[in-house]
Amino acid sequence: MSRLLTQIYLFEEIFATLQLAFPNEEFSVQGKPIDDTFLILAPEMVRPVVELLMEKFDVYHLSTITGDDTGNGVRLLYHFWSGYGITLSTLLPYDNLSVPTLTGLIPGAAFYEREVHEMLGVTFEGLDTPGPMFLPDDWEDGAGPVRYPLRQNANEKS
Amino acid sequence: MSKITVPIGPQHPLLKEPLAFSLTMEGEHVIESSMRIGYVHRGIERLSQERTYVQNVHLFERVCGICSHVHTTTFCQGVEALLELEVPPRGLYLRALLCELERIHSHMLWLGVQARNIGFDTIFMYAWRDREIVLDIMENLSGGRVSHAVNIIGGVRIDLTPEHHDMILKQLDILEPQIEALLGVVENERSFQARTRNIGVLSLEQIRRYCVVGPVARASGLDMDIRRDAPYPPYDQLRFRVPVRYEGDAWARTMVRILEMVESVHLCRQLLTDLPDGPTSVRAKRRVPPGEVVSRAEAPRGEVIYYIRSDGSDKPARVKVRTPTLTNLITLPDQLQNISMADVSVILSGVDLCIACADR
Repeated sequence: MSRLLTQIYLFEEIFATLQLAFPNEEFSVQGKPIDDTFLILAPEMVRPVVELLMEKFDVYHLSTITGDDTGNGVRLLYHFWSGYGITLSTLLPYDNLSVPTLTGLIPGAAFYEREVHEMLGVTFEGLDTPGPMFLPDDWEDGAGPVRYPLRQNANEKS
Repeated sequence: MSKITVPIGPQHPLLKEPLAFSLTMEGEHVIESSMRIGYVHRGIERLSQERTYVQNVHLFERVCGICSHVHTTTFCQGVEALLELEVPPRGLYLRALLCELERIHSHMLWLGVQARNIGFDTIFMYAWRDREIVLDIMENLSGGRVSHAVNIIGGVRIDLTPEHHDMILKQLDILEPQIEALLGVVENERSFQARTRNIGVLSLEQIRRYCVVGPVARASGLDMDIRRDAPYPPYDQLRFRVPVRYEGDAWARTMVRILEMVESVHLCRQLLTDLPDGPTSVRAKRRVPPGEVVSRAEAPRGEVIYYIRSDGSDKPARVKVRTPTLTNLITLPDQLQNISMADVSVILSGVDLCIACADR
């Protein structure tokens, strides 16, 4: 069976399992070029869905977390990989930039979450952030030219 | 015994790149450690939003000073997918040829650094001598020893002449026995084993929890290689093995890397023998249609991933780069625990750190 077909079957199975486990939630799926599939879900669903993916489908490799300020909120993309790319995509509104941390399930997520936290100002509930990671130590005291460098309005100091 | 805290870095003799450690010690023993990165953060992700796709190819070449080619490969691969461009097979083969040469170069450099930290200067000298062979090949092909500027969106800018073809094959014939000799030393030499066996051990469970990639993961028994598991062209047409060891210590990491060099030499020969005829690149549009793509490739240090989002203009709206070192760095506090001070250097270099990559 070709890789593409295997991937389609796997996703149908994942999708069906998710709908069975969370019947009241809305999910949607988008295929992307180069072997990646995006699963769009609500912010509060990220942790339970990751838990289910790890348990039922042995998806454990979190490649990275992308934070992306799109202009109508901050998008978080959790890029998983299990022979195929599986990306969980969720949109956080500006007035509630907060999502539970994944470090309890995947300790390797700590660096990625800390990076998104300092670059975009997203709060990961339960994440231990001992100071900045890439930015200088005095950045948070207002020494830097901008507060969150990857925000779209980064040049207007707020 | 009372505890003392020893700061190491950001500038220190172990690595040429800045990275700060704070080791809590009891006598000669390291109890625990913490680290601070970010001294060479250049804001490349933000910079890329201000530059066109063509300029960005050159920007991403500068993410890493060792595996510069694989970064542009991953970026171009992503942009080409957004443009729905079909890159000519000859271009793809030449791309992969440089990727494999770069892998040999990176592992040779690493082997020298590792041997130097162990105090085995003979391997250091031999490894860096043999690395020159690869650097000469790359200089002949592209004009640059480390920054090749070979990739363009739509293919590669170089072509291989028959003289290049013969020269590379001849040089590979010189290189292969040298690598095998180094393999023999690492496998059998007792002084090398005494300094690396059971040092910095990571279990498969830890590797999975921390999402570790590359030779570090493969030395602990995680059989994962993007080239084989999600083959991006032309790797779907090539035959190669992925070396895996199960010991999980600094010795296994050395073995995995040397065996990978042997495989890379075979891959280079395959790529040269099967090299298709035809053009090496196609013309690409400057504006990229709206869309997003996740592009992965296997760098010498492991999986590198680019996320690219286009809004239809000639500049990307967002590019996210995750380099393998950032992932592997997270295991260091676990490894630098309950060990002797003398093993710190072996552990640090065993992971093959590239701080400029991790900081971007």
